[in-house]
Amino acid sequence: MKTTFDQRAIDLTSNGKNYKAVLDDQTVDIEIVHAENGKLDLLIDGNHVIAYVSSDGAKRWVTVNGRTFVLTKSSGTASDSKNRRSSAGGEHASELAAPMPGQVRSVNVSEGDAVSKGQTLLVLEAMKMEIRIQAPFDSTVKSITAKVGQTVEREQILIVVDKLES
Amino acid sequence: MFRKILIANRGEIAIRIMRACKELGIQTVAVYSEADKNSLHVQFADESILLGAAAPKESYLNIDKIIDAAKQTNADAIHPGYGFLSENASFAAAVDSAKLTFIGPSADSIRAMGDKAESKISMKKAGVPTVPGVEGIESEKDFKKAAKEIGYPVLVKAAAGGGGKGMRVVNTESEMIESLEAARSEALNAFGDDRVLIEKYLPNAHHIEFQVFGDKNGNLVHLFERECSAQRRHQKIIEETPSPLLTSKLRKEMGEAAVAAAKAVGYFNAGTVEFIVDPDTLKFYFLEMNTRLQVEHPITEFVVGLDLVQWQIRIAAGEKFPFTQKDLFQRGHAIECRVYAEDPAGGFLPSTGRLLQFIEPRGPGIRVDSGFAAGNEVTHFYDPLLAKLIVDGENREVAIQRMKAALSEFVVHGVTTNIDFMQSVLAHPDFQNGEVTTRWVETNFNWKPSEPTLEILIAAALADQTITNPKSKISNSNEPDPYSPWKAASGFRN
Repeated sequence: MKTTFDQRAIDLTSNGKNYKAVLDDQTVDIEIVHAENGKLDLLIDGNHVIAYVSSDGAKRWVTVNGRTFVLTKSSGTASDSKNRRSSAGGEHASELAAPMPGQVRSVNVSEGDAVSKGQTLLVLEAMKMEIRIQAPFDSTVKSITAKVGQTVEREQILIVVDKLES
Repeated sequence: MFRKILIANRGEIAIRIMRACKELGIQTVAVYSEADKNSLHVQFADESILLGAAAPKESYLNIDKIIDAAKQTNADAIHPGYGFLSENASFAAAVDSAKLTFIGPSADSIRAMGDKAESKISMKKAGVPTVPGVEGIESEKDFKKAAKEIGYPVLVKAAAGGGGKGMRVVNTESEMIESLEAARSEALNAFGDDRVLIEKYLPNAHHIEFQVFGDKNGNLVHLFERECSAQRRHQKIIEETPSPLLTSKLRKEMGEAAVAAAKAVGYFNAGTVEFIVDPDTLKFYFLEMNTRLQVEHPITEFVVGLDLVQWQIRIAAGEKFPFTQKDLFQRGHAIECRVYAEDPAGGFLPSTGRLLQFIEPRGPGIRVDSGFAAGNEVTHFYDPLLAKLIVDGENREVAIQRMKAALSEFVVHGVTTNIDFMQSVLAHPDFQNGEVTTRWVETNFNWKPSEPTLEILIAAALADQTITNPKSKISNSNEPDPYSPWKAASGFRN
């Protein structure tokens, strides 16, 4: 079975208790010694590896040798994310989203305003920090979807701006 | 001694204080917000009281609700921890008025040191060296004038501030207005006071602080230094003691200055005098005094061999501190790493989510102070500190090696952490040579996460084929895939 994580495809085939993995041009043999509650005890080509694994939607959290990675399973979803990006209006419109969950402290502009690159449009407060949402380029404010005092989620769209033709 | 103590805080520090209470045979009361109802600190306490909504103003910053909770549970003292109300003089005064004991200094000492402008003036009077700067000015014109006299870069910071909030570095005059505005608005928001002061910014300085400790009978000593130069966004990430920069002569001078600073405001209980030290001239300057227990107090506990929180409680109950300066010495080396839910590759922005796995390291010389467990939610309402990992060793080299090993055993899934980042800091020659200054992370350390290895991809793919919920217990009947590794595990155990 082929799975893709962050653009890297790995092919796993099982033969009973053991697995064979093909990644790029490399083939390795895997034996599962023990597996329990998100912890895998493996022999990969005979080398002992302990891996901690958790799943959250398309995300996979994996820790081996003290290093933790978050991989996104992308098989079959690559085209979806492309579509989503183009719906934002290509290069001329930009959806400004919250980089993290927080509360909207102030909205400094109104719909239809002309704004210049770097101008602070909205201020978000999260974990006692102030995060300024700034205009990515000279533009007009197309719509504002956040209100002062509102609690917003990560990646929630706050403001949409239209790029000014130069 | 007290019979029951209310802990007006949350997370790891609330638990750490409750441990000290339990060891002293004192009952504990936790307070919590709606967001924290399943938190470890609530489970750890003998009793708990809901304060209100998640927003700090409705809960951990609400003086009336906290005092009510103490009265309702018949507590006789309140420990404020760090952050929240710990350096709020009105809170300390309100605790006194309610005929309860505040475990900390007097409201007057907090007030005297809380105002960065006032405290600088009183430190100058006490003969403690301070950073060149100007206090008590308001207009943009005056700030620009002062900056010109001091020389750029300058630092504008909240007079009521601390913890890196309401603070901006200004490199040129053109940045002054925006920086002033940002510092003022952050200060108003965090401390309810928008006054700021200006001082010379020393970009290549070490941040070295001294722990002071005193009783109500006027005995006041220092418990040596903590080197806290490894910072990001003006907030500490790695602390250690002893400092690799200090000579025994400088240590003695700074210790005496710290004691003089504390004496100038009639200090008792635990406090920390922060200095910045220029590594080229070895000149030191008073930065501020934190009138509370510090996040990084465990490294001092390791090398001095005292339980600071137990002594805070005993001193507040009126006991004498039995040690004089000559009884105290440093033994070995201790390091603390602050494990934050944040993304070092994305500007250190906090990361939130549910903890899918949370496995703490163990072993000789390893201490973990944490307030989280798997299944807990890390929310955006509070500080992103997940845990403090503290190690000690016979010398600095041993302690660094031990920390690297311990960090590599720390597994956190569900939020992004700075664990790999700190691992790289510890491995860097500048850190190993003790040459890290407060802006080192920002200017000298270009960290990038490494690429996933073959093992990582294999583990992800293996788990992916079979598991839908990693936290669910393995059971044969619910396992549709006959070749599932979880199934294999069951077979292995049978």
